Amino acid sequence: MPRKIVIIGANAAGSGVASAARKTDREAEITIIEREKYPAYSRCGLPFVLAGEISEFEKLIIFPLAWYKMMKLNLLTETTVQSIDVKEKSIMIKSADGKESTLPYDTLVLATGARSFIPPVKGYDKDGVLALRTIQDGIKFKEKMKSAKAAVIVGAGFIGLETAHALFENKINPIIVEMLPWICPTVFDQDTANIVQKKIEEHGIKVIVGKGVEEILGDTSVTGVKVAGETIPADMVLMATGVRSNTELAVQMGVELGITKAIKVNSRMATNISDVYSCGDCVESQNMLTGLIGMCQLGTTAVRQAKVAGTNAAGGYSVFPGVLGSSVSTFFGVEIGATGLTEFQATRLGLKPISGVVTSKTRADYFPGAKDIRVKIVAEPEFGRIIGCQIVAGEEVTQRVNMISAGIQKQMTIFELAKADTCYAPPVNETWEPIALAAEMAVAKLRR
Amino acid sequence: MVKVGEYEVQEGLYYHSEHFWAKVEGDSVRFGATDYGQKALREVVFIELPKVGDEVSQNEAYGTVESVKAVIDLIAPVSGKIKEINEKLTDTPDLINNNPYGDGWLILVTPSKLDDELKNLMTFEAALTWYQELAKGG
Ligand SMILES: Cc1cc2nc3c(=O)[nH]c(=O)nc-3n(C[C@H](O)[C@H](O)[C@H](O)COP(=O)(O)OP(=O)(O)OC[C@H]3O[C@@H](n4cnc5c(N)ncnc54)[C@H](O)[C@@H]3O)c2cc1C
Repeated sequence: MPRKIVIIGANAAGSGVASAARKTDREAEITIIEREKYPAYSRCGLPFVLAGEISEFEKLIIFPLAWYKMMKLNLLTETTVQSIDVKEKSIMIKSADGKESTLPYDTLVLATGARSFIPPVKGYDKDGVLALRTIQDGIKFKEKMKSAKAAVIVGAGFIGLETAHALFENKINPIIVEMLPWICPTVFDQDTANIVQKKIEEHGIKVIVGKGVEEILGDTSVTGVKVAGETIPADMVLMATGVRSNTELAVQMGVELGITKAIKVNSRMATNISDVYSCGDCVESQNMLTGLIGMCQLGTTAVRQAKVAGTNAAGGYSVFPGVLGSSVSTFFGVEIGATGLTEFQATRLGLKPISGVVTSKTRADYFPGAKDIRVKIVAEPEFGRIIGCQIVAGEEVTQRVNMISAGIQKQMTIFELAKADTCYAPPVNETWEPIALAAEMAVAKLRR
Repeated sequence: MVKVGEYEVQEGLYYHSEHFWAKVEGDSVRFGATDYGQKALREVVFIELPKVGDEVSQNEAYGTVESVKAVIDLIAPVSGKIKEINEKLTDTPDLINNNPYGDGWLILVTPSKLDDELKNLMTFEAALTWYQELAKGG
C-alpha cells in the first residue's frame, strides 16, 4: 500500500514539503489542502506588485497547477481542514461548496503558516485599516490606493518599509510610525537604522520612531491616527505589525506548542505526536548561534524546513540545522541586509560584543556608478567570533550577507575575515572588500 | 518551430499528453521532453535512464528526471526496445532545458507496435490546439 501523506497548507512550506516528499517516495499518495483560492504564491512579492514593478498578482504564483499535476500531487484548494483525529489518523475537510469529508493519513504535515497580527488599538476595525499577507489583501490595498490621499504605515519592519515604498511609487507619501526607538529593530542596531531612516526621509517621507499609535480615528472609515496625542490625517492605514502562527489545528489535536506559542518541533521537524511533522511560519526555530528558541518567519526558513519535513514525512532522513535570521530587502534606493545578532541583542544576552564599521564604495572609487556601502560586523570579544552583520548599500548586499552567514556557521573569526581571500575588479568591487575592512576595524578595537 | 504563448512546439513530432515527444526516424523512434515539460520542470539536475536493450511500454515510466523543484517519471510515448540512450545527459542534464527538441533528446528505440500506438499520440496540429489550452491555463 502506498504511503498516504497529507499536507495542510499549500504555500511556501506546504508545496516545499510536497516536492521533497515526492522526491523521496515516488509511490506515495500525496494530498495538499489549502483554504485559499490560489496554488502556492509568493507573499514576498506582494509589495512589488503594489509598487507596479510586477504587473499583476497572478504573476506571483510560483507553483502553477500544472506543477501539481506533473508531480502527481492531489491539490485541494478552497478547502479547509476542520479537525484532525489523531487516533484514527484522519482529517476532516470542508470544501468551498460546504461539503465535508474525511481523509486518512499515514503521515501528516502541518504547514499552516501565519496570519497578520493586528494589535487591538482602539478603532483597528475601521474601513481602510489594512494588512498585507494574501493576494486578497493585496487586491484590497491596490483598490484603496486609487482613491487614498494620505497613508500611515504602522510598523517599520521590512514589510512596512517595502509597502511604504510601493505607496511612494503610487504618489502617496506615507507617514511611517514605529513604536520602538528605531526602525527595523529586530535586524538593525540604532546606528544602522538611522542611516536607513535618513535614506527614507530623503524621499520626503516622515518617519516617527519611539511612539505608538494610540487610536485609529474616524466614524466607520479611517480619517486619521493618533500618535502621542497628535492627529495624523490618513484615509488608509497599513498594520505591518507582525504575524502570529496558525496553531488552532495543532492545539486541537494535541500538538505541543513551545515557549513562543508556535509549534514545537525537533531537528527532523517532527512534533510530539508520532507521524506528525510541521514547518514554516507556524513553527518555532532554534538559533544556530545562541541555541535559543525563537521565531524566524521567513520564506527562506520555510522552504529549508519544508525540504527536511517532506523528506522525513516520506520515510527519508534529514535534519534542519537551525536559523540565523539572514534577511535582505530593498526600498528607497538602498539595499539592506543582516544576519546573526545585532550588538543590542548580543548585549541583552549578556555578551560584551564589539563591532567594526566601515563605509566604502561598491566599485572602485573612480568608477562611474560606484555606490556607498556601509558594513557593520558584530563579534564576540574573547575569541573574536563573528556573530552578526548589518549592511546598507546602493547595491551588492545579498551575497555579502550570505558570506557572513556562512562564516558564522563555520565559527569564523574577525581575524580570519579581515584576511579573507576576496575578489576585485574596478567596475564591480573595491580593492579592499568592505566586509574584510569592517572585520579589520573590529580587530583594531579588540587590540586597543 | 511554432510558438504558442511562451512555449515552442516543433513540427514533425508526435506528442504525448505527459509532455513528451516521439519522432519517427526510419525504423527507429527518438524520445524527448517537450518545451512545456522542460519549462514546468525548470533547472534539471539529474536524470535516470534505463540501459540499452531494455524494453519500454507505451504510457509507462522508464526513468526519472529531477529538477530543483520537481521530480517526474519519463513516460514512453510508444513501446519498443532501447537502441541508444543520450549519454550526454549524465554530465549535462540541463541539455533538456537548453534544447529539448535537439541535443536534449532522451532515448532512441526500435518500436514494436508503432502503427497502432501512434494513433494514441497527438500530431503536431493536434498539439497546437492543446498548447493553446495549456498556454491559457498557465
Ligand atoms: C508582504 C510580505 C513580504 C514578505 N517578504 C519576504 C521576503 O522578502 N523574504 C522572506 O524570506 N520572507 C518574506 N516574507 C515571509 C514569507 O512570505 C513567509 O515566511 C512564508 O509565506 C511562510 O510560508 P508558510 O507556507 O510557512 O506559511 P503561509 O505562507 O502562511 O502559508 C500557510 C498556508 O496554509 C493555509 N492554511 C492554514 N490553515 C489551514 C487550514 N486549516 N486548512 C487549509 N489551509 C490552511 C493558509 O491558507 C496558507 O496559504 C514576506 C511575507 C509577507 C506577508
